Amino acid sequence: MSAAESVAVVGTPDYRTRHRTWLAANLPPHWRADAVDYRPPSLDEAKAWEAELHRQGLWGIAWPREYGGHGLSLREHLIANQEIGRLPMPESQNSIGKELAGPIILAIATEEQKRRYLPAILEMREIWCQGFSEPEAGSDLAGLRTRATRDGAAWRVNGQKVWTSGAHRAQRCLLLARTGSMEARHGGLSLFALRMDQPGVTVRPLRQITGEAEYCEVFFDDALVEPEDALGEPEAGWQAAVRVLEVERGTNRMYRAWRFEQELRHLVTACRNEPALARLLEDGHYRQRIAQVQVDVEVLKRMVEQVVDDLVGGQPIGGRGSLSKQHWSEAHQRFAALALEMVEQASYPPSPEVAAAQRRFRKLYLQARAETIYAGTTQIQLGIIADRILKLPRGA
Amino acid sequence: MSDGFEAAAEIARTARRAAEACAGLDAAATARRLGGDGLLGVLAPEAVGGLALPLSVAAPVVAAAEAALLPFPLVEALLGARLLAGRQDDLAAAIVAGEAICTAAPAGALRSEGGRLSGTVGHAPLGTAARWLFAAVDGGGAALLDLHANGVSVVEEPGLELERPLAHVALQDAPAALMLDGAAWTTFQADALLLRAAGALGAAEHCMQRAIAHITDRKQFGRALVSFQGLRFELARHKLALEGARGTLGHALSVAGQDPCGQDVARLVARVTVAEAAPAIVEGAIQLHGGMGFTWDLGLHRHLRRVKAAALALDAVAARGALVERLDQLWAA
Ligand SMILES: Cc1cc2nc3c(=O)[nH]c(=O)nc-3n(C[C@H](O)[C@H](O)[C@H](O)COP(=O)(O)OP(=O)(O)OC[C@H]3O[C@@H](n4cnc5c(N)ncnc54)[C@H](O)[C@@H]3O)c2cc1C
Repeated sequence: MSAAESVAVVGTPDYRTRHRTWLAANLPPHWRADAVDYRPPSLDEAKAWEAELHRQGLWGIAWPREYGGHGLSLREHLIANQEIGRLPMPESQNSIGKELAGPIILAIATEEQKRRYLPAILEMREIWCQGFSEPEAGSDLAGLRTRATRDGAAWRVNGQKVWTSGAHRAQRCLLLARTGSMEARHGGLSLFALRMDQPGVTVRPLRQITGEAEYCEVFFDDALVEPEDALGEPEAGWQAAVRVLEVERGTNRMYRAWRFEQELRHLVTACRNEPALARLLEDGHYRQRIAQVQVDVEVLKRMVEQVVDDLVGGQPIGGRGSLSKQHWSEAHQRFAALALEMVEQASYPPSPEVAAAQRRFRKLYLQARAETIYAGTTQIQLGIIADRILKLPRGA
Repeated sequence: MSDGFEAAAEIARTARRAAEACAGLDAAATARRLGGDGLLGVLAPEAVGGLALPLSVAAPVVAAAEAALLPFPLVEALLGARLLAGRQDDLAAAIVAGEAICTAAPAGALRSEGGRLSGTVGHAPLGTAARWLFAAVDGGGAALLDLHANGVSVVEEPGLELERPLAHVALQDAPAALMLDGAAWTTFQADALLLRAAGALGAAEHCMQRAIAHITDRKQFGRALVSFQGLRFELARHKLALEGARGTLGHALSVAGQDPCGQDVARLVARVTVAEAAPAIVEGAIQLHGGMGFTWDLGLHRHLRRVKAAALALDAVAARGALVERLDQLWAA
């Protein structure tokens, strides 16, 4: 398909309909988070599913065709994500690869690296994790200590990362490591695409408040980085990292607003079909709070669309991803608390549908606590808004 | 497309210049100045001297006027001229030119008997200086009234705002200059809410900028107040609320034509976000000025009065109530 053809295809409502129809027909019903017989996919099932999503044009939408992408724009990415959001689908097992590593590779990697890494991400042959945070360097990322030293043309890595999501299933780590002095702070950091399946890497999953073990400690003991796996210019890792984080906040999980709306609809549907909960839907207090959730969803939709407009119009995201990140993380926590408060008022024993909603919203309530922590905490986002959007003077 | 964008940007610039130039002018002089700059005809059709631009282009005009505290019922002029065009072209043209002042009474409704109107309506901004009034009539629809006609009395009534004091209008068998159908009146009111929302955000942003300037200058504990993280975070939250509200309002303005009754999601959402964000930002700006913020002379209370009045009219609680009703319908379908 030529560029001209692809524009013609997406210029019609068919583009949306095609995705909507395919997803509705192919998403296994028991993977839906609102299903009574909900059962999440195994890792192998998830890999096969995501690889198929890519073949169907639902991943890699805006990536160039020579690297396995579909060569369309962020506008189509937005449309596809709206359709993904409308269904309570499993989260990607490789969102770090697709939404963090991918964009940064596109921005700074060599041609050879792009051809090697990017198709492997989309085809789910390589799952990536993000090795930024360390025990001594979280919000203050520039203080990180994990060190990469020259070993001929290659590098050796020593140190520790923590809170590394999905490290236990990852084949690659987008590693931010110190190659210069501690005093150089931001200036002494470099980015690498480290292979995880090697003797120098030890991964220890950490149990989270949900009971699951999704994030990990990762220890590097003379771990090897081949010369062809260094990303971008040495010591320029910080600028690249900042760009990664801007992308992460501004565009990742673009389906979020529409999934959020789906969660709200699930809540309302579950309540409607249960007399004790249906009463809450008639209660003025709950009606106000439900409406406010929809307001929050609409605010988020507009923020996301604005970011897409700006990026398509050639303007950088800059700090503005912090506005949407800050908004959705807190709004989603408010929603999760409301949903749980409502479904827990069901009469006992709950119907299978209500039990499914209770299961989903209990988990969501706990899971949502992470949302104001990862990808930069609330306090870090507020700082970015103050410094980079409002441009408040430092004021000695 | 890009021409339209340019025209809108040019109107926003003109509005900011005009609003500054109007400082110290009374209502009549303000009307003439704004009319002379073509700003009162942004929405009205070309036949009455207007520009026939969409509602979204009027938003920055109202925003600039509210930030500058213009003593003029601008929303009513913009929408009144649009409403009267094709019904009373001469009056519409006079409003566009800034030669006639119209206002509207959002409270109460009149009785119509044999073509004459009686009853009491109120909360009409700048009612004592205006010549023309739009007011609701029992059973739907509205009337245009000549406030100088026999049987009409106009009295100032208490309200929050200072520069456009509210008026209460009592009628006894007064003639209607024009009767308006329910649909036209509903759209007038719904669009008026969106433009008031734009004005409230314009005023709020202005106050936030003043607060930033103040804490940048002001030193306490040996350092500029702006260096304190607590204050920076507070301003960041104001900015977040402002941008959230701005996004939903921009969307509501751009799809307003598809929802002439004002009951769709976009308008209701914009009402909620602006009603909550705008007063909070102005209240915050007063707080950030400390004791000085509470003085009459600093003047932030003037914005607060306008913005709070607009927020009360936008009525977040009612808008959220209508929004759930709408969602009930949408989701049942
Ligand atoms: C579920 C989950 C998944 C994660 N996945 C990854 C991942 O895949 N890869 C990765 O690299 N990291 C990941 N993280 C780590 C995350 O990015 C960090 O936890 C986060 O940046 C905060 O760092 P920290 O934990 O060291 O907290 P700290 O930086 O120690 O912060 C502690 C508290 O102090 C506040 N604080 C810190 N500095 C300031 C300041 N200057 N002003 C005001 N308040 C401040 C913070 O907001 C926070 O409330 C994940 C975290 C979670 C919860």
